[in-house]
Amino acid sequence: MAEPTPELLTKSFELGYTYTRSTGPVIGHFLSELREGRIVGTRTSDGRVLVPAAEYDPVSAEALTEFVNVGDEGVVTTWSWVVDPISHHLMQKPFAFALIQLDGADVAMLHMVDAGSESAMRSGMRVRARWAAERRGSITDIICFEPT
Amino acid sequence: MGNRVAVVGIGQTKHKSKHKDVSIAGLVRQAAERALEDAGCTWKDIDALILGKAPDMFEGVVMPELYLTDALGGNGKPVLRVHTAGSVGGSTAVVAANYVQSGAFRRVLTVSFEKQSESNATWALSPRMPFVPHVNAGAGGFFAPYMRLYMERYGVPAHIGCMVAVKDRLNALKNPYAHLQIPDISLEMVQQSPMLWEPIRFLESCPSSDGACALVLADEQHAARSPNPPAWILGTSTRADGSMYAGKDNIHPASLIACAKDVYSKAGITDPRRQIDVAELYVPFSWYEPMYLETLGLCGEGEGWKLVESGVTALDGDVPINASGGVLSSNPIGASGMLRFGEAALQVRGMAGAHQVEGARLAIGHAFGGAHSYYAMWAVSADKP
Repeated sequence: MAEPTPELLTKSFELGYTYTRSTGPVIGHFLSELREGRIVGTRTSDGRVLVPAAEYDPVSAEALTEFVNVGDEGVVTTWSWVVDPISHHLMQKPFAFALIQLDGADVAMLHMVDAGSESAMRSGMRVRARWAAERRGSITDIICFEPT
Repeated sequence: MGNRVAVVGIGQTKHKSKHKDVSIAGLVRQAAERALEDAGCTWKDIDALILGKAPDMFEGVVMPELYLTDALGGNGKPVLRVHTAGSVGGSTAVVAANYVQSGAFRRVLTVSFEKQSESNATWALSPRMPFVPHVNAGAGGFFAPYMRLYMERYGVPAHIGCMVAVKDRLNALKNPYAHLQIPDISLEMVQQSPMLWEPIRFLESCPSSDGACALVLADEQHAARSPNPPAWILGTSTRADGSMYAGKDNIHPASLIACAKDVYSKAGITDPRRQIDVAELYVPFSWYEPMYLETLGLCGEGEGWKLVESGVTALDGDVPINASGGVLSSNPIGASGMLRFGEAALQVRGMAGAHQVEGARLAIGHAFGGAHSYYAMWAVSADKP
């Protein structure tokens, strides 16, 4: 008698959990300042200013306690154009993911630039934060950056 | 066996249900700083960072070892992560020890943590999966039937589990880091606590804790220079096992018997009951204490409960178990195994404070994880091997 052919099964499933996140005092201050429309970084042992604020020094490992206000304008150091955003993207029109070094900061942070078209983008361009009207203490309180 | 290795620094947080004041990084940092201070080390002195925690789903931080690199001084150094479910704190310490024994690293910082307040670990342990009925048993629900099996197989009276629960909470009162502090703990209180996973009562179960533990392990040369007494690691072992295969004995798992034999052989332990001065065993539900006494060869099969009943495992008994209060008093899951290993080391260093077992020279630390799927152990001594 022939062996029965085993049926091969596949089934999709979703896995989801809810979490709480405790920011601690450093990240908490960074986020609550965003709510006020200000951007702060932390100063490292070698004098550099990290934005977003970091809790610990990446070089010396010391706890970082000195907050430094930085500008909401800065320079695009490099970028990647998103031609056709998908539904998960925060911007629903073509935009750039960009590394932006804010005035007074020594490192660039990742955010988005709404430049209208790829031809308007270049490394070294100046951009300014577009703030949300209602801010909640989140990095998305900055909707995106736009060319100055 | 390789090069000699010792525990020269131990740090832990106060364990409690919610550390809302700090981020996960801030939490592990407290333990790491205390371990470095105990070891007389700075961040620069550390060759490698070895991190352990329970599954990422517990806090929803994917790759926590990367997130924690800054906080633990890991930039530019080897940073490794160990995964073995609830036993991970123990197996992480074993991995760290083995690296020093191999000569690859000379001083290692090993850290483990859990911030249970950021999640719901019980349900992250039992996700809803396709093709399998979701029984919603939770952690205790899986183990509860084996408690009954143990009681029925050996005719164990029901108050034994309650006695362990009382003993560990009395010990916790002497440990300022322990989560549960129940000054009026009594047999009646445990017996009257709600039935959680029958036959396990609420007070026979571990709490959910936020906490972290860190150890600094050093080779012989650095151990000789450390400011506080070292705990020499005589032997380490880990074993893994399927959780529900045919023929598995979940009361005396073969993988744990093998793990203990391996450690005892490396450490020269031939008579565990006589030679071991104090043991820190991973007991999240009180019934595991008598079961582990048997599996670890501290007594014969079916006799563990008699040791509990006669007070042998109490702080003033001849083999105190969980002098720190154990997992029953603090359970930051990923750190719980390392806490057992660290508390064993604290005892032989004579640094356990109010829960110090006088004259402790040889101690064992033990951890289990998964559904009796992972084991880790080490033996530590005040005397250099």
